[in-house]
Order: sequence, then C-alpha cells, then structure tokens
Amino acid sequence: MLAAVLFAGAPQSGTNPIQGLLEQVAPAAVPAWAVVAATIGIGVGITVAIVSVIAMFGTWMERKVSGHIQCRYGPMRAGWHGWLQPLADGVKLLLKEDLVPKGADRVLYVIAPAIVLASVLAAMAVFPLAPNFYFADIDLGIFFILAMTSTTTIGVVMAGWSSNSKWSLYGSMREAAQVIAYEIPLGISLLVPIMVAGSFNLIEVSNDQAGWMGMNWYIWPWVNPFMLPAFVLFFIAILAETKRAPFDLPEAESELVAGFMTEYSGIRWSFFFMEEYAAMFLYSAVGAFFFFGGFESPLTWLVRHQFGLTVGVQAEAWSLGAILLTLTSALTIVVKGFAGVFLMMWLRWTLPRVRIDQVMTLGYKYLTPLALVCVLGAGLWEVFVKGFLPWRNG
Amino acid sequence: MTATTKYFRNVYDTLKTTLVGMRITGKYLLQKPITVQYPDERLPIPNRYRGIHYLEQEKCIECLACARACPIDCIEMDAVRHGKELEWITFTLDYQKCMFCELCVYPCPKDCIHMGTEFAFVSYDRSEFVHDLLSYRGMSRDAKTRMLEAEQKKKAKEEAKKAKEAAKAALKAEAEGKEAAGQN
Repeated sequence: MLAAVLFAGAPQSGTNPIQGLLEQVAPAAVPAWAVVAATIGIGVGITVAIVSVIAMFGTWMERKVSGHIQCRYGPMRAGWHGWLQPLADGVKLLLKEDLVPKGADRVLYVIAPAIVLASVLAAMAVFPLAPNFYFADIDLGIFFILAMTSTTTIGVVMAGWSSNSKWSLYGSMREAAQVIAYEIPLGISLLVPIMVAGSFNLIEVSNDQAGWMGMNWYIWPWVNPFMLPAFVLFFIAILAETKRAPFDLPEAESELVAGFMTEYSGIRWSFFFMEEYAAMFLYSAVGAFFFFGGFESPLTWLVRHQFGLTVGVQAEAWSLGAILLTLTSALTIVVKGFAGVFLMMWLRWTLPRVRIDQVMTLGYKYLTPLALVCVLGAGLWEVFVKGFLPWRNG
Repeated sequence: MTATTKYFRNVYDTLKTTLVGMRITGKYLLQKPITVQYPDERLPIPNRYRGIHYLEQEKCIECLACARACPIDCIEMDAVRHGKELEWITFTLDYQKCMFCELCVYPCPKDCIHMGTEFAFVSYDRSEFVHDLLSYRGMSRDAKTRMLEAEQKKKAKEEAKKAKEAAKAALKAEAEGKEAAGQN
C-alpha cells in the first residue's frame, strides 16, 4: 500500500512507473542502461514480494476456510487466529533437507520448480495492482498471462518425469492431458469479454467497464447476457488450469500422494505451492478484470466522482484524488481476486475429485462447444443488439 | 431421453448439484466450530468419568482393600500405625499398568479413593507414571495432636491405675499390719 502511494506520484513516461520515478530522481551522470537495470531489479523484487505475500495469505486462507467448512478453527496458535502460520511454515520448509531421489534426472529435477515459479512470476509482471501501479503495461496483457501460466505445465511435466517415481509420472501425464482439454475453453471463454472490450490490455478492459457504481461490469446481463455463462465456463477452466479440486488430478493427494511433487521437499516443494496460490490469485484477478469490472467498484467510482477524475486519464501527480484512486483500485482488485480464490477454496471443500475421463468429457464435450456458443451469441449481441441499448453507447 | 436432452440435462444437473453442495458447505462455514482450543478450554467431562485417581488421605485407614481389589496390582501403600493414627510412608499408583477399571473404588470401606476427571497425562520419563497419591507424608498435624492426646490420656490412665494400685497395696499392707497386731 505504501508502494502504491509512492507510485501514485510517478509520472507516466511511456515505459513504466518505476522507470519514470527513477529517471526523475537519478542524476544526469547515470547512464540509461543503469536506470533500466535498476528498474528491472526493483520490478522483479516487487513482483517476487507480491507473489510471496499472496502465496502466504493464500495458504493461511486455505487452512482457515477448510477448517471452518469442517467445523474446526484451523490454525489458531501462531499470532492472532494463526495469521503468522505461513511464516512458521516457511521457516520449517527452509530448514528441511533438500532431497534429490536416487535415479532422478538431476538437472531437470532441480530446474522444474524454478520454471514453475518463474512462469507465474513472469505472468505477474503484467498484472496491474492499480491503473498506475504495474511493472509492464503491454497491449497483449491477457495473452501474455495465458502464455506464461501455460508454461507451468512444462515445469510440472518435467518435475514428474525427472522424479523417477511412478506417482509423479502419473501426475504429470494427467497434467499434460488435462491442460490440453482446458486451455481451449479457457481461451475461448475469455474471448467473450475481450470481444466486448476490444482489447487485450487489462487496464483498458477495466476502464471500459467504468460506470455508475460499478453497474457497467461485463457480468451484468444488461451489458451482454452471454457473459455469465462465459464466466461459469471460464471459472471451471481456471479450476483445472490451476490444478484445483475437483480437477486436482495431477496432485491427487489421496491417490497419487501429491502427484508430480511427491519427491520434492523443503524450499523446492514450497515453490510449487507458491505457484499454485499465486496462479489462483492471478486467474481470479483476470476473471475480475474481464467479468467483474477490474478496478471499477462503487468505491473507485465514488473517489473519481468526488475528485472529478476522468477514466483512463492520469490524474495530477501527488494529488489526494490520485492517491485515493490508486489505493481504492488496489483494494478493489485485491478483494475481487481473493473473493475468487475463496470461491475456489469453497468448491475444493465441496466437490469430490472427478476421474480423468470425466475431466476429458467435461473439457471436450461440454466446455469447448458451450464456450463457442457463448462467443457466437455474444458476437451477435454486440453486432445487432448493442446499438439499441442506450447505456452501452454513452 | 434423446442424446440432446441428455446433454443439457447433464449440464443442468452438474450446475444444480454443485450449488446444492456449496450451500451445504457454506452453511457449515458460517456455523460456529464444534472443536475447542483444547489446553485453554475443555469440553465438559461427565461426573462418572474414570480419570486419574485422587485420595482423601485423612479418611484412609490403610486397609489394603483397594490394593487387593486391583486386578493388576498397581496400587502400593505403606504406613506406620501409631494406635489409631497413621504415619504415611507411601501410596502409589502405577499408571503404566492401571486400566482405569474403577474396581479399586468400590471396596473402599471409608469411600476415600476416587477417580477424577483429569485425563491428560504425558511425561518424558516412565518413572513419572508411578503417581504418588499422597498429599503429605508422615502424619497430619491433627493426627499428631490426636495421637499425642491419646498418648497423654493413656499415660494419665496408667498413672492413675498405678496410683490406684499403690493405694490398694498400701491399704492391703495396712490391713495386714492390723491383723498382725490383733494376733499379738
């Protein structure tokens, strides 16, 4: 949040806020490449920090949600209601012995968790925490996120293959099979809001949904009635994409003993965990951007209304309105993201795991055709009905 | 059912059953947890729970009824008698053996050994499982005063008896003297 306040004042120099800030404060003697290097260093640091915090909060939340769904408390000892539990876990994992099984393909085994974590870190780089707080604002934002998070699969398959364990191999083969079944409906269902917004850029999509008290979110049926079914399909697809129950077949705790990460321990194992929770948050946030208004909420609307700010226009640096807008935007997207994470956890503790053939049936026979129908319907709506809707043409 | 209706039926069923399940788990989520934070708070324990024993040492008369009743001989006791009062040396119960059958409680004529509600009992050493049920060793202050009183009474009684006997002897001697004088 402090960083968000800092960045509210950063000028937008066409690159990114960090570089803008650095160019402002750096003396003239500092060469341009040093500024770029410092930008990359700071950006990577912030991204890693954000991913770690999200993963820590995610694990704590998972324990609390699962505990309360089973009528127990979950962690209660470390700090108030166990909020320091992830820290205790982290210390424990760091102290654990780092094992490499005999007969494992050592190189692949060691780099697999790094690839898994790096892919989600890379995807996180284009995730904006506020309209003026991001590391990279690229026009192919969602495309980049999808591409990067799909790379996770390579890491998972590598981990399973190199572990020299039949459980791991089963897990990674399932992941490989599953990802093909789910990437397609995931991409197609995302096409619906992309089509309505006409942009891949997360911030632009969010700006497009600005309206009175968040009444212009894409999910509302008066914007486009095909959005709700598209969101349901998208949500089912991201459950599979992030390997969450009921599609946690690669992990399958009760049958495959954690699947592809059976042989991992200590800090390498925690990389997989960090990836899982960061990816859950990232996909939930993507869902929030493309269906639930992104930064747009009654709160941000009120701030903008009070301070007379225009959507998509950078407010005057260091003004109270700009700072408040940054803070409320960050709050909005974080709350929406974790609401999605909560929904995923709720589903995890509700549904039993499906079989791999059921996963395939769902992916190929149900999600893909239904997503195509949604795209077709939404397209026709945009072409033929949108013109008659006064609130879509304001 | 044709294949088409079955297809849409499946979609409907999946969504519906998922929502029903989520309603159930959501209800549990909002419910107060039924577990308790154990060492801090405890669930109420029934009165007749058979936990760790406690002994009302004042009442005990070292009759060994409980030790004899014990099917696995885990009770050991020793005391020195001073008249009616007891000087306690040991009263131990070995919880490595005890099976919490409560058979020691029933034969007690003074109703002085009971089973409590405490159940948590962990230790780093086996020897700590041999519990000492005595709250004090030796004699209580009351028992000591009672014993001293009894001893003093006894002494007094004896002295009185001695005095009586002496008086009797004196009387007898006097009578004998009279008789002798009469004969003379």
